Amino acid sequence: MSTPVILGFIPVAIAFAIMASSSGLTAFESVAMSVFVFAGASQMMSVGMIAEGAGYLAIVVATFIMNFRHFIMSTCVFERMQGATPAQKMLLSFGVTDESFAIFTTTEREKCNKWYFFGVFLGTYLSWILGTFIGTFATAIFPASVSGSLGISLYAMFIALLVPKVKTNWRLLIVVVLTAFINFGLQNLFEPSWSLIVSTLVGAGIGMFIVRDEDESEVAE
Amino acid sequence: MNILLLIFLMMLVTYIPRMLPSQITDKLRIGKKFRKYLELIPYTAMAALIFPGVISVDANLWYIGVVGALVAVLLALVKKIPVVLVVVAAVLADMALYYFI
Repeated sequence: MSTPVILGFIPVAIAFAIMASSSGLTAFESVAMSVFVFAGASQMMSVGMIAEGAGYLAIVVATFIMNFRHFIMSTCVFERMQGATPAQKMLLSFGVTDESFAIFTTTEREKCNKWYFFGVFLGTYLSWILGTFIGTFATAIFPASVSGSLGISLYAMFIALLVPKVKTNWRLLIVVVLTAFINFGLQNLFEPSWSLIVSTLVGAGIGMFIVRDEDESEVAE
Repeated sequence: MNILLLIFLMMLVTYIPRMLPSQITDKLRIGKKFRKYLELIPYTAMAALIFPGVISVDANLWYIGVVGALVAVLLALVKKIPVVLVVVAAVLADMALYYFI
């Protein structure tokens, strides 16, 4: 099931490259950012900030805040991963993104070894770079309506991963809906990226009381 | 502005939080309760990633994100549908919407 997810990554990368080139980045700089940073949402944010003339420090701090969620995601990924050496983990950790995390942590535990994660990492990484590359030409090829519509692709991917899991587990559905509204409520209190982290942690904490243990083992399958 | 320096700094602040847990999870003894907590995080994280961000896919037209998301939810309810089909359908729905407005 990971191959289709990986293909879903390309449109998001195209959308990033289109944004980057409209912010004045060269094709080389856009591709370099995808190769070295490899974090979709924060890359989009950074080119948006560049367009607004923001300073380095502000962009780097915003990137740190935004990507700090990967600290939590990485904890979940490596808790599931069997049989990797510290050096291999150091390499694989570069591949922890919202998407690889979502794929890996919704796959049954038995399949969660280092090679499976490496495959997901390689697939998402290469398609992210390829998509960025395509996107640097895309402004010339695609009309604005296409590039505008690509913005939904990231959300559609999360929905496609989440819906099958909550469809058969109404307690988990409650937790998911509750978390979404907590995040919505916190938007005025925190920066959106902090609000995301807080609501993820609080939502899972509430979920401890709502989701039954037996449900949870079903969830992991 | 030296974009390459910026990219390097962004790489550091992105990679370090990803890397640190990979080096410590082995040394932690993870109990049943904490494991359950970690198992729930993917679902709450995805929920928070989707909402309310999806409303501002287009900063000026809130319904662009809502329609795309509804199409995605309806299709994702179909058993064993590939993720990429859901994504493509949502993009096409938004394209159609842009065409008609």
